[in-house]
Amino acid sequence: MRRLLGLLVIVLFITLFALVIASGGFGYEVPPSRVRELARQFLVYAYNPFNTTFTVKSPEAVTSIVWDFRGLDTLFETLVFYLAIIGALSLYRGIESGKRAEVISLGLSPIVKTVTKLTAGIIITVAASIALHGHLTPGGGFQGGATAAVAPLLILIVFSKYFLENLGLRKNVLLALRSIGLLGIGVTAFSALIIGLAAGSPAYVFQNQPKPDAPVGLPVHIGDSLISGTLWFFNFFEMFAVAAGFTVIFLLLGIPEGEVLKQLREEVGEH
Amino acid sequence: MIDAFTFLFTTCMLSIIVNLGISLYGVLYRPSLIKKIISLTIFSDSANITAIIIGYVRWRNPGEIAPPVLLNPSPTLEDIETFAKVAVDPLPQALVLTAIVIGLAVTLFLVFLTLQMYRFYGTTDVRRIAKLRG
Repeated sequence: MRRLLGLLVIVLFITLFALVIASGGFGYEVPPSRVRELARQFLVYAYNPFNTTFTVKSPEAVTSIVWDFRGLDTLFETLVFYLAIIGALSLYRGIESGKRAEVISLGLSPIVKTVTKLTAGIIITVAASIALHGHLTPGGGFQGGATAAVAPLLILIVFSKYFLENLGLRKNVLLALRSIGLLGIGVTAFSALIIGLAAGSPAYVFQNQPKPDAPVGLPVHIGDSLISGTLWFFNFFEMFAVAAGFTVIFLLLGIPEGEVLKQLREEVGEH
Repeated sequence: MIDAFTFLFTTCMLSIIVNLGISLYGVLYRPSLIKKIISLTIFSDSANITAIIIGYVRWRNPGEIAPPVLLNPSPTLEDIETFAKVAVDPLPQALVLTAIVIGLAVTLFLVFLTLQMYRFYGTTDVRRIAKLRG
């Protein structure tokens, strides 16, 4: 009976989904022959030197939407990510991994270790490029941070968890790095307001470029480089928050299962 | 007779629908929690691809569809208007980016929860977990 009910749910869902597409729920022409008006507005105002009221001054329309037009969405999305990692950490509370002084003999063969040493640096460089050019080319803080987290993951697998910790990437250091990243995102969100308060002019939270009723904002260029106001800072800090968050998770998953079970049993035995 | 693009697009849409069905089957019927989580990620990825496909523009001549990135560093008004005509919809891409991050966060948490369950109960089979008391 329950199997039949489940089957009915699947068939009903697929039929309704197909019906929604067929009856024009996503537009009568899928994909549409031209973008919707809202999307057109975003495309026109993403980088528009002729309209200083709405423009973000970033040639990358997706990053403009992510960190400016719909910036609050992204802020709370970052918070969801933050909370999920807090949840994972709380499941590991009180579980400490042992320390080892001698770690060179651990891990895979010297060939793999040498290749990893070379590639880890390259991965970090590519990640920084993806994140710091997020306002110019496809990419951004999250993508850059996720790429950067691959380097510690590789080191964790090829060398060992203890090698990574001896490098200084311990749980608490990473948590501090992640908190600095999130603090940076918070400060950047309030930066225009802080400048406005100092200059005695009206300003908004999450404001990027100057508006007619709030004539303060972050600079579009630093020297000759386009930074698009707050966008560069958001991407920069998001990269740290995401890379450190992922690395913390990898470190926790890298604790040997035997140690975790031993400590869990001790914890359960105490109560 | 349909053209090659329409055929490919229809195949793509159909495969998304099939994917949604398979992933729902996995979430509802597979007893292992890990397989349920894998099915859930397939489901969210299929939903994301649907959003991206809706944001695409109907195929025209080559060169008339572009990514939503303005390549000209000092554009004129005409350049911006042309860009808005040829670029695909950036909004679904931005929303999918948000959805991916949130999906990843939820998956991370679910994986940790499953790992913890496995440590305490020695199984990820929901039928056996449901029978446990206390």
